[in-house]
Amino acid sequence: MTVSSRWVAVLLSLLALSCKKPVNPGDPLPGLTAEQLARFTRGKEVFDSVFTPHTGLGPLFNSTSCGECHEDPMVGGTGDEVEVHATAFKNGMCDPLVQEGGPVIQLHTTPALKKALGIDREPFPPSANGRASRTTPVVFARGLMDLVPDSAILAYADSEDRNHDGVHGRPNRSVDGRIGRFGRKAFVSTLAEFNAGAFVAEMGITNPVQPTEENIGGKPIPPGVDSTADPEINQEELDVTDDFVRFLAAPTPTKLDRNGRRGRDLFSKIGCTGCHFPTLRTGASPILALDRHEFPAYTDLLLHDMGQDLADICLGQAGPADFRTEPLIGLRAIQHFLHDGRAATVDQAIELHGGEASGARDRFKALTAEDRAAVVAFLKSL
Amino acid sequence: MLRTILLIPFLMSTPIRHRLQAPPPPPPTQPATSYTYVGTVHAVNAQTGTLDLITGVGMSLRLVHMTAGPVVRPSSPASGLRFADLKPGDAVRAECRRTSAPPGLVVNRIEKIEAPAR
Repeated sequence: MTVSSRWVAVLLSLLALSCKKPVNPGDPLPGLTAEQLARFTRGKEVFDSVFTPHTGLGPLFNSTSCGECHEDPMVGGTGDEVEVHATAFKNGMCDPLVQEGGPVIQLHTTPALKKALGIDREPFPPSANGRASRTTPVVFARGLMDLVPDSAILAYADSEDRNHDGVHGRPNRSVDGRIGRFGRKAFVSTLAEFNAGAFVAEMGITNPVQPTEENIGGKPIPPGVDSTADPEINQEELDVTDDFVRFLAAPTPTKLDRNGRRGRDLFSKIGCTGCHFPTLRTGASPILALDRHEFPAYTDLLLHDMGQDLADICLGQAGPADFRTEPLIGLRAIQHFLHDGRAATVDQAIELHGGEASGARDRFKALTAEDRAAVVAFLKSL
Repeated sequence: MLRTILLIPFLMSTPIRHRLQAPPPPPPTQPATSYTYVGTVHAVNAQTGTLDLITGVGMSLRLVHMTAGPVVRPSSPASGLRFADLKPGDAVRAECRRTSAPPGLVVNRIEKIEAPAR
Protein backbone atom coordinates (compact mmCIF):
# COMPACT_ATOMS: atom_id res chain seq x y z
CA MET A 1 0.00 0.00 0.00
CA THR A 2 1.42 3.38 -0.98
CA VAL A 3 1.53 6.28 1.43
CA SER A 4 -1.26 8.10 -0.42
CA SER A 5 -3.55 5.05 -0.50
CA ARG A 6 -2.93 4.58 3.21
CA TRP A 7 -4.04 8.16 3.80
CA VAL A 8 -7.14 7.56 1.71
CA ALA A 9 -7.94 4.48 3.81
CA VAL A 10 -7.49 6.46 7.03
CA LEU A 11 -9.68 9.28 5.75
CA LEU A 12 -12.37 6.84 4.64
CA SER A 13 -12.31 5.20 8.08
CA LEU A 14 -12.65 8.56 9.79
CA LEU A 15 -15.48 9.46 7.44
CA ALA A 16 -17.22 6.18 8.22
CA LEU A 17 -16.83 6.83 11.94
CA SER A 18 -18.16 10.35 11.67
CA CYS A 19 -21.10 9.12 9.63
CA LYS A 20 -21.88 6.32 12.07
CA LYS A 21 -25.56 6.47 12.73
CA PRO A 22 -26.24 7.51 16.32
CA VAL A 23 -28.22 5.06 18.44
CA ASN A 24 -31.40 6.67 19.70
CA PRO A 25 -33.31 5.71 22.85
CA GLY A 26 -35.32 2.58 22.10
CA ASP A 27 -33.12 1.44 19.21
CA PRO A 28 -31.83 -2.13 19.06
CA LEU A 29 -28.15 -2.86 19.48
CA PRO A 30 -26.19 -2.22 16.31
CA GLY A 31 -24.98 -5.41 14.71
CA LEU A 32 -27.87 -7.73 15.53
CA THR A 33 -28.59 -10.45 12.99
CA ALA A 34 -31.86 -10.46 11.07
CA GLU A 35 -33.11 -13.25 13.31
CA GLN A 36 -32.21 -11.33 16.46
CA LEU A 37 -33.90 -8.22 15.09
CA ALA A 38 -37.02 -10.27 14.41
CA ARG A 39 -37.01 -11.45 18.03
CA PHE A 40 -36.50 -7.86 19.17
CA THR A 41 -39.56 -6.84 17.18
CA ARG A 42 -41.69 -9.74 18.44
CA GLY A 43 -40.58 -9.07 21.98
CA LYS A 44 -41.47 -5.42 21.66
CA GLU A 45 -45.01 -6.47 20.75
CA VAL A 46 -45.34 -8.55 23.92
CA PHE A 47 -43.68 -5.78 25.97
CA ASP A 48 -46.28 -3.36 24.64
CA SER A 49 -49.32 -5.65 24.78
CA VAL A 50 -52.00 -4.68 27.24
CA PHE A 51 -53.16 -7.49 29.52
CA THR A 52 -56.68 -7.77 30.84
CA PRO A 53 -58.08 -10.02 33.58
CA HIS A 54 -59.21 -12.30 30.76
CA THR A 55 -55.61 -12.67 29.51
CA GLY A 56 -54.10 -13.02 32.99
CA LEU A 57 -53.78 -9.53 34.43
CA GLY A 58 -53.75 -9.46 38.21
CA PRO A 59 -55.47 -10.08 40.50
CA LEU A 60 -52.92 -7.58 41.90
CA PHE A 61 -50.98 -5.37 39.53
CA ASN A 62 -49.16 -2.07 39.11
CA SER A 63 -49.72 -1.72 35.39
CA THR A 64 -51.44 -3.44 32.51
CA SER A 65 -48.37 -3.69 30.26
CA CYS A 66 -44.60 -3.28 30.44
CA GLY A 67 -44.90 -0.44 27.97
CA GLU A 68 -47.41 1.44 30.11
CA CYS A 69 -44.57 2.37 32.47
CA HIS A 70 -41.52 2.07 30.21
CA GLU A 71 -42.77 4.46 27.56
CA ASP A 72 -40.87 7.74 27.51
CA PRO A 73 -39.37 8.83 25.15
CA MET A 74 -39.70 5.40 23.53
CA VAL A 75 -40.69 1.89 24.53
CA GLY A 76 -38.07 0.77 27.06
CA GLY A 77 -37.76 4.24 28.52
CA THR A 78 -39.06 5.76 31.71
CA GLY A 79 -42.57 6.68 32.87
CA ASP A 80 -44.38 8.75 35.44
CA GLU A 81 -45.68 5.81 37.52
CA VAL A 82 -44.37 5.45 41.06
CA GLU A 83 -44.77 2.16 42.88
CA VAL A 84 -44.47 1.12 46.50
CA HIS A 85 -42.11 -1.38 48.11
CA ALA A 86 -42.02 -2.38 51.78
CA THR A 87 -39.64 -4.36 53.99
CA ALA A 88 -38.63 -4.64 57.62
CA PHE A 89 -35.04 -4.16 58.77
CA LYS A 90 -34.46 -5.61 62.23
CA ASN A 91 -31.22 -6.39 64.04
CA GLY A 92 -29.21 -5.98 60.87
CA MET A 93 -31.35 -8.48 58.96
CA CYS A 94 -33.64 -7.71 56.07
CA ASP A 95 -37.11 -9.21 55.96
CA PRO A 96 -38.73 -8.68 52.54
CA LEU A 97 -42.09 -9.38 54.21
CA VAL A 98 -43.12 -12.01 51.70
CA GLN A 99 -45.49 -13.36 54.36
CA GLU A 100 -47.32 -10.01 54.27
CA GLY A 101 -47.25 -9.42 50.51
CA GLY A 102 -43.89 -7.71 50.19
CA PRO A 103 -41.61 -6.48 48.93
CA VAL A 104 -43.66 -5.09 46.00
CA ILE A 105 -47.01 -3.73 47.18
CA GLN A 106 -49.29 -3.61 44.16
CA LEU A 107 -51.42 -0.53 43.74
CA HIS A 108 -54.31 -1.94 41.70
CA THR A 109 -56.70 -4.88 41.82
CA THR A 110 -58.87 -6.52 39.22
CA PRO A 111 -62.65 -6.06 39.51
CA ALA A 112 -62.97 -9.69 40.66
CA LEU A 113 -60.54 -9.21 43.54
CA LYS A 114 -62.18 -5.96 44.50
CA LYS A 115 -65.53 -7.70 44.55
CA ALA A 116 -64.18 -10.56 46.67
CA LEU A 117 -62.18 -8.57 49.22
CA GLY A 118 -63.33 -4.99 48.78
CA ILE A 119 -59.80 -3.68 48.26
CA ASP A 120 -58.45 -1.29 45.62
CA ARG A 121 -54.79 -2.11 46.31
CA GLU A 122 -52.71 -4.57 48.26
CA PRO A 123 -52.73 -3.80 51.99
CA PHE A 124 -49.52 -2.23 53.27
CA PRO A 125 -47.63 -4.79 55.41
CA PRO A 126 -48.27 -4.11 59.10
CA SER A 127 -44.75 -5.22 60.08
CA ALA A 128 -42.98 -2.91 57.64
CA ASN A 129 -40.56 -0.37 59.03
CA GLY A 130 -39.38 0.69 55.60
CA ARG A 131 -41.45 2.12 52.75
CA ALA A 132 -40.02 3.01 49.36
CA SER A 133 -41.36 4.84 46.36
CA ARG A 134 -39.87 3.60 43.10
CA THR A 135 -39.92 5.35 39.77
CA THR A 136 -39.68 3.51 36.46
CA PRO A 137 -36.07 3.11 35.33
CA VAL A 138 -35.11 3.12 31.68
CA VAL A 139 -34.13 -0.38 30.58
CA PHE A 140 -31.72 0.61 27.84
CA ALA A 141 -28.46 -1.38 27.73
CA ARG A 142 -29.62 -3.87 30.37
CA GLY A 143 -28.47 -6.72 28.14
CA LEU A 144 -24.99 -5.21 28.23
CA MET A 145 -25.15 -4.79 32.00
CA ASP A 146 -26.22 -8.42 32.31
CA LEU A 147 -22.98 -9.54 30.70
CA VAL A 148 -20.54 -7.61 32.85
CA PRO A 149 -18.62 -10.43 34.56
CA ASP A 150 -19.06 -10.85 38.30
CA SER A 151 -15.28 -10.69 38.54
CA ALA A 152 -15.35 -7.13 37.19
CA ILE A 153 -17.96 -6.07 39.75
CA LEU A 154 -15.96 -7.67 42.54
CA ALA A 155 -12.80 -5.98 41.30
CA TYR A 156 -14.46 -2.57 41.74
CA ALA A 157 -15.62 -3.39 45.28
CA ASP A 158 -13.75 -1.76 48.14
CA SER A 159 -15.87 -2.51 51.16
CA GLU A 160 -12.96 -1.76 53.52
CA ASP A 161 -12.21 1.55 51.78
CA ARG A 162 -8.57 0.56 51.39
CA ASN A 163 -7.85 3.59 49.22
CA HIS A 164 -9.30 5.93 51.87
CA ASP A 165 -11.46 7.86 49.41
CA GLY A 166 -14.56 7.50 51.58
CA VAL A 167 -16.18 5.26 48.97
CA HIS A 168 -16.63 1.61 49.86
CA GLY A 169 -18.77 -0.13 47.31
CA ARG A 170 -19.83 -3.70 47.86
CA PRO A 171 -22.01 -6.11 45.90
CA ASN A 172 -25.48 -7.13 46.96
CA ARG A 173 -26.57 -10.77 46.83
CA SER A 174 -29.74 -12.40 45.53
CA VAL A 175 -31.82 -14.77 47.68
CA ASP A 176 -29.54 -17.65 46.74
CA GLY A 177 -26.32 -15.76 47.34
CA ARG A 178 -25.35 -14.78 43.80
CA ILE A 179 -24.01 -11.31 43.05
CA GLY A 180 -26.84 -8.93 42.22
CA ARG A 181 -26.84 -6.09 39.74
CA PHE A 182 -30.43 -5.22 38.73
CA GLY A 183 -32.89 -3.08 40.63
CA ARG A 184 -32.24 0.01 42.72
CA LYS A 185 -30.74 -2.21 45.43
CA ALA A 186 -28.89 -4.57 43.02
CA PHE A 187 -30.87 -7.45 44.46
CA VAL A 188 -31.45 -9.35 41.21
CA SER A 189 -28.64 -11.26 39.53
CA THR A 190 -29.74 -11.66 35.94
CA LEU A 191 -31.84 -9.83 33.42
CA ALA A 192 -33.86 -12.97 32.69
CA GLU A 193 -34.90 -13.20 36.34
CA PHE A 194 -35.64 -9.51 36.56
CA ASN A 195 -37.93 -9.71 33.54
CA ALA A 196 -39.69 -12.93 34.57
CA GLY A 197 -40.20 -11.59 38.08
CA ALA A 198 -41.49 -8.26 36.80
CA PHE A 199 -44.22 -9.96 34.77
CA VAL A 200 -45.65 -11.35 38.01
CA ALA A 201 -44.83 -8.60 40.49
CA GLU A 202 -45.90 -5.74 38.22
CA MET A 203 -48.75 -7.22 36.20
CA GLY A 204 -49.72 -10.48 37.86
CA ILE A 205 -48.75 -12.37 34.71
CA THR A 206 -47.45 -15.80 35.65
CA ASN A 207 -44.94 -17.46 33.35
CA PRO A 208 -42.95 -20.67 33.17
CA VAL A 209 -40.14 -19.25 35.32
CA GLN A 210 -42.44 -17.84 38.02
CA PRO A 211 -45.63 -19.88 37.65
CA THR A 212 -47.40 -18.75 40.82
CA GLU A 213 -49.26 -15.52 41.55
CA GLU A 214 -48.37 -13.05 44.27
CA ASN A 215 -50.29 -13.48 47.50
CA ILE A 216 -52.71 -10.79 48.70
CA GLY A 217 -51.05 -9.19 51.69
CA GLY A 218 -49.78 -12.66 52.59
CA LYS A 219 -53.14 -14.36 52.11
CA PRO A 220 -54.08 -16.68 49.26
CA ILE A 221 -56.13 -15.51 46.31
CA PRO A 222 -59.84 -16.08 46.99
CA PRO A 223 -61.38 -18.86 44.89
CA GLY A 224 -62.78 -17.77 41.55
CA VAL A 225 -60.85 -14.49 41.43
CA ASP A 226 -58.14 -15.57 38.99
CA SER A 227 -59.56 -18.05 36.55
CA THR A 228 -56.83 -17.78 33.90
CA ALA A 229 -54.74 -20.92 33.78
CA ASP A 230 -51.09 -20.60 34.82
CA PRO A 231 -48.69 -19.87 33.29
CA GLU A 232 -50.42 -16.90 31.71
CA ILE A 233 -47.73 -16.37 29.08
CA ASN A 234 -45.69 -19.14 27.53
CA GLN A 235 -41.94 -19.62 27.33
CA GLU A 236 -41.73 -18.19 23.81
CA GLU A 237 -43.51 -14.98 24.83
CA LEU A 238 -41.26 -14.67 27.87
CA ASP A 239 -38.12 -15.35 25.84
CA VAL A 240 -38.83 -12.81 23.10
CA THR A 241 -39.72 -10.16 25.68
CA ASP A 242 -36.45 -10.92 27.40
CA ASP A 243 -34.66 -10.57 24.07
CA PHE A 244 -36.36 -7.24 23.40
CA VAL A 245 -35.00 -5.83 26.65
CA ARG A 246 -31.66 -7.60 26.19
CA PHE A 247 -31.19 -6.10 22.74
CA LEU A 248 -32.07 -2.50 23.66
CA ALA A 249 -28.97 -0.44 23.02
CA ALA A 250 -27.34 2.25 25.09
CA PRO A 251 -28.33 5.49 23.37
CA THR A 252 -25.39 7.35 21.88
CA PRO A 253 -24.60 10.34 24.08
CA THR A 254 -25.32 13.57 22.24
CA LYS A 255 -22.33 15.47 20.90
CA LEU A 256 -20.68 17.57 23.56
CA ASP A 257 -19.73 21.16 22.94
CA ARG A 258 -16.82 22.78 24.72
CA ASN A 259 -18.95 23.44 27.81
CA GLY A 260 -20.15 19.84 27.94
CA ARG A 261 -16.61 18.52 27.59
CA ARG A 262 -15.57 20.71 30.51
CA GLY A 263 -18.52 19.31 32.46
CA ARG A 264 -17.38 15.78 31.68
CA ASP A 265 -13.91 16.58 32.99
CA LEU A 266 -15.34 18.20 36.12
CA PHE A 267 -17.62 15.20 36.72
CA SER A 268 -14.48 13.11 36.99
CA LYS A 269 -12.41 15.72 38.83
CA ILE A 270 -14.90 16.18 41.67
CA GLY A 271 -15.06 12.43 42.22
CA CYS A 272 -18.40 11.38 40.72
CA THR A 273 -16.66 8.72 38.66
CA GLY A 274 -15.58 7.03 41.89
CA CYS A 275 -18.95 5.27 41.70
CA HIS A 276 -20.39 6.30 38.34
CA PHE A 277 -17.69 4.48 36.35
CA PRO A 278 -17.88 5.87 32.81
CA THR A 279 -17.58 2.55 31.01
CA LEU A 280 -18.12 -1.12 31.67
CA ARG A 281 -17.20 -4.01 29.43
CA THR A 282 -19.21 -7.13 28.77
CA GLY A 283 -17.74 -10.62 28.86
CA ALA A 284 -17.91 -13.18 26.11
CA SER A 285 -21.29 -13.79 24.49
CA PRO A 286 -22.46 -15.83 21.51
CA ILE A 287 -24.44 -12.73 20.51
CA LEU A 288 -21.86 -10.67 18.67
CA ALA A 289 -23.59 -7.37 19.40
CA LEU A 290 -23.11 -8.05 23.13
CA ASP A 291 -19.76 -9.79 22.98
CA ARG A 292 -16.89 -8.04 24.82
CA HIS A 293 -18.46 -4.66 24.25
CA GLU A 294 -17.55 -1.47 26.08
CA PHE A 295 -20.49 0.80 26.83
CA PRO A 296 -21.10 4.08 28.65
CA ALA A 297 -22.61 2.70 31.86
CA TYR A 298 -21.74 5.30 34.50
CA THR A 299 -22.17 2.76 37.29
CA ASP A 300 -20.06 0.26 39.21
CA LEU A 301 -23.14 -1.93 39.91
CA LEU A 302 -22.19 -1.83 43.60
CA LEU A 303 -24.04 -0.75 46.72
CA HIS A 304 -23.07 2.47 48.44
CA ASP A 305 -24.33 4.04 51.63
CA MET A 306 -26.14 7.15 50.44
CA GLY A 307 -26.99 8.55 53.85
CA GLN A 308 -30.01 8.50 56.12
CA ASP A 309 -31.92 11.17 54.22
CA LEU A 310 -32.36 8.83 51.25
CA ALA A 311 -32.79 5.62 53.28
CA ASP A 312 -35.97 3.60 52.71
CA ILE A 313 -36.14 -0.21 52.43
CA CYS A 314 -33.63 -3.02 52.73
CA LEU A 315 -33.23 -5.88 50.23
CA GLY A 316 -30.87 -8.82 50.56
CA GLN A 317 -27.68 -7.46 52.06
CA ALA A 318 -28.55 -3.88 51.21
CA GLY A 319 -29.52 -1.85 54.25
CA PRO A 320 -32.05 0.98 54.06
CA ALA A 321 -29.38 3.57 53.13
CA ASP A 322 -27.61 1.36 50.58
CA PHE A 323 -28.33 1.91 46.90
CA ARG A 324 -26.73 0.59 43.76
CA THR A 325 -24.98 3.31 41.80
CA GLU A 326 -27.63 4.30 39.31
CA PRO A 327 -26.52 3.77 35.70
CA LEU A 328 -26.75 7.13 33.95
CA ILE A 329 -27.56 5.56 30.59
CA GLY A 330 -30.37 7.48 28.97
CA LEU A 331 -30.34 10.18 31.65
CA ARG A 332 -31.52 12.72 29.08
CA ALA A 333 -34.87 10.91 28.99
CA ILE A 334 -35.45 11.23 32.73
CA GLN A 335 -37.82 13.86 34.10
CA HIS A 336 -37.70 12.98 37.81
CA PHE A 337 -34.43 11.96 39.41
CA LEU A 338 -33.20 9.57 42.10
CA HIS A 339 -34.81 6.23 42.92
CA ASP A 340 -38.07 7.78 44.10
CA GLY A 341 -38.24 10.77 41.79
CA ARG A 342 -37.89 13.30 44.60
CA ALA A 343 -35.46 15.48 42.64
CA ALA A 344 -36.93 17.68 39.93
CA THR A 345 -33.56 18.57 38.39
CA VAL A 346 -30.14 17.01 37.97
CA ASP A 347 -28.65 19.68 40.27
CA GLN A 348 -31.10 18.76 43.00
CA ALA A 349 -30.37 15.08 42.56
CA ILE A 350 -26.65 15.67 43.06
CA GLU A 351 -27.29 17.88 46.08
CA LEU A 352 -29.42 15.14 47.65
CA HIS A 353 -26.57 12.64 47.47
CA GLY A 354 -25.29 11.83 50.97
CA GLY A 355 -23.24 9.20 52.76
CA GLU A 356 -20.36 8.01 50.63
CA ALA A 357 -21.25 10.56 47.97
CA SER A 358 -21.03 13.52 50.38
CA GLY A 359 -17.53 14.45 49.27
CA ALA A 360 -18.39 14.56 45.58
CA ARG A 361 -21.63 16.39 46.40
CA ASP A 362 -19.78 19.03 48.40
CA ARG A 363 -17.24 19.52 45.65
CA PHE A 364 -20.09 19.93 43.18
CA LYS A 365 -21.72 22.52 45.43
CA ALA A 366 -18.44 24.37 45.70
CA LEU A 367 -18.18 24.79 41.92
CA THR A 368 -19.03 28.08 40.27
CA ALA A 369 -22.49 28.35 38.75
CA GLU A 370 -20.93 28.04 35.30
CA ASP A 371 -19.07 24.89 36.19
CA ARG A 372 -22.15 23.34 37.77
CA ALA A 373 -24.09 24.10 34.61
CA ALA A 374 -21.33 22.44 32.60
CA VAL A 375 -21.59 19.25 34.68
CA VAL A 376 -25.35 19.22 34.20
CA ALA A 377 -24.95 19.83 30.46
CA PHE A 378 -22.66 16.82 30.28
CA LEU A 379 -25.08 14.62 32.23
CA LYS A 380 -27.98 15.67 30.02
CA SER A 381 -26.01 14.45 27.02
CA LEU A 382 -26.15 10.84 28.25
CA MET B 1 -30.68 -19.64 32.29
CA LEU B 2 -29.45 -22.60 34.28
CA ARG B 3 -29.32 -20.48 37.41
CA THR B 4 -32.77 -19.15 36.67
CA ILE B 5 -34.04 -22.66 36.47
CA LEU B 6 -32.42 -23.42 39.81
CA LEU B 7 -34.55 -20.73 41.40
CA ILE B 8 -37.79 -22.54 40.83
CA PRO B 9 -38.72 -25.86 42.24
CA PHE B 10 -38.09 -28.46 39.61
CA LEU B 11 -39.07 -32.01 39.32
CA MET B 12 -36.32 -34.54 39.67
CA SER B 13 -37.64 -37.77 38.35
CA THR B 14 -37.15 -40.89 40.40
CA PRO B 15 -34.11 -42.77 39.14
CA ILE B 16 -35.12 -45.22 36.48
CA ARG B 17 -33.43 -48.10 38.27
CA HIS B 18 -35.83 -47.62 41.17
CA ARG B 19 -38.80 -47.84 38.91
CA LEU B 20 -37.41 -50.92 37.19
CA GLN B 21 -36.58 -52.79 40.37
CA ALA B 22 -37.73 -56.36 40.74
CA PRO B 23 -41.27 -57.34 41.68
CA PRO B 24 -43.42 -57.42 43.65
CA PRO B 25 -44.86 -54.29 42.11
CA PRO B 26 -45.64 -51.60 44.63
CA PRO B 27 -49.19 -50.71 45.45
CA PRO B 28 -50.63 -47.98 43.26
CA THR B 29 -49.18 -44.98 45.08
CA GLN B 30 -47.83 -41.72 43.74
CA PRO B 31 -44.18 -42.05 42.67
CA ALA B 32 -41.81 -40.36 45.08
CA THR B 33 -40.85 -36.96 43.76
CA SER B 34 -38.29 -34.56 45.05
CA TYR B 35 -37.98 -30.83 44.75
CA THR B 36 -34.97 -28.61 45.15
CA TYR B 37 -35.38 -25.11 46.53
CA VAL B 38 -32.59 -22.55 46.65
CA GLY B 39 -32.98 -19.46 48.76
CA THR B 40 -32.38 -17.57 51.97
CA VAL B 41 -33.35 -18.90 55.38
CA HIS B 42 -36.09 -16.65 56.70
CA ALA B 43 -36.82 -18.50 59.93
CA VAL B 44 -35.66 -21.80 61.36
CA ASN B 45 -36.66 -23.65 64.49
CA ALA B 46 -34.59 -26.73 65.21
CA GLN B 47 -36.84 -27.76 68.11
CA THR B 48 -40.05 -27.86 66.09
CA GLY B 49 -38.16 -28.88 62.95
CA THR B 50 -39.54 -26.11 60.77
CA LEU B 51 -37.89 -23.93 58.18
CA ASP B 52 -39.18 -20.99 56.14
CA LEU B 53 -37.17 -20.31 53.02
CA ILE B 54 -37.34 -17.20 50.84
CA THR B 55 -37.06 -18.15 47.19
CA GLY B 56 -38.18 -16.37 44.09
CA VAL B 57 -37.51 -14.84 40.73
CA GLY B 58 -36.35 -11.26 40.57
CA MET B 59 -38.56 -9.14 42.81
CA SER B 60 -41.28 -11.77 42.86
CA LEU B 61 -40.46 -13.61 46.08
CA ARG B 62 -42.09 -16.59 47.73
CA LEU B 63 -41.96 -18.05 51.22
CA VAL B 64 -41.72 -21.84 51.28
CA HIS B 65 -42.49 -23.70 54.51
CA MET B 66 -40.69 -26.99 55.17
CA THR B 67 -40.34 -29.47 57.96
CA ALA B 68 -37.31 -31.49 58.91
CA GLY B 69 -36.93 -35.04 57.68
CA PRO B 70 -35.05 -37.54 59.89
CA VAL B 71 -31.62 -36.70 58.51
CA VAL B 72 -31.74 -32.97 59.24
CA ARG B 73 -33.23 -33.26 62.73
CA PRO B 74 -30.92 -32.26 65.59
CA SER B 75 -30.96 -35.82 66.90
CA SER B 76 -29.85 -37.35 63.62
CA PRO B 77 -26.63 -39.37 63.89
CA ALA B 78 -25.96 -38.80 60.20
CA SER B 79 -23.26 -36.38 59.17
CA GLY B 80 -24.25 -33.30 57.22
CA LEU B 81 -26.01 -30.06 57.87
CA ARG B 82 -29.01 -29.99 60.22
CA PHE B 83 -31.59 -27.36 61.01
CA ALA B 84 -29.69 -26.51 64.19
CA ASP B 85 -26.74 -25.40 62.04
CA LEU B 86 -28.80 -22.85 60.17
CA LYS B 87 -29.63 -19.25 60.91
CA PRO B 88 -31.71 -16.58 59.17
CA GLY B 89 -29.83 -15.07 56.24
CA ASP B 90 -28.02 -18.27 55.22
CA ALA B 91 -28.25 -19.12 51.54
CA VAL B 92 -29.12 -22.79 51.23
CA ARG B 93 -30.14 -25.52 48.82
CA ALA B 94 -32.84 -27.77 50.27
CA GLU B 95 -33.80 -31.10 48.76
CA CYS B 96 -37.34 -31.98 49.77
CA ARG B 97 -40.11 -34.42 49.10
CA ARG B 98 -43.78 -33.58 49.11
CA THR B 99 -46.01 -35.43 51.52
CA SER B 100 -49.76 -35.67 51.43
CA ALA B 101 -50.49 -36.44 55.06
CA PRO B 102 -49.92 -33.95 56.45
CA PRO B 103 -49.58 -31.98 53.22
CA GLY B 104 -46.24 -30.25 52.94
CA LEU B 105 -42.58 -30.39 52.13
CA VAL B 106 -40.14 -32.48 54.11
CA VAL B 107 -36.44 -31.68 53.88
CA ASN B 108 -34.27 -34.69 53.12
CA ARG B 109 -31.00 -32.83 52.75
CA ILE B 110 -29.88 -29.26 53.10
CA GLU B 111 -26.63 -27.50 52.39
CA LYS B 112 -25.30 -23.97 52.56
CA ILE B 113 -24.29 -22.70 49.17
CA GLU B 114 -21.42 -20.71 47.87
CA ALA B 115 -22.81 -19.23 44.72
CA PRO B 116 -20.57 -19.47 41.69
CA ALA B 117 -19.44 -16.26 40.03
CA ARG B 118 -20.19 -15.78 36.38
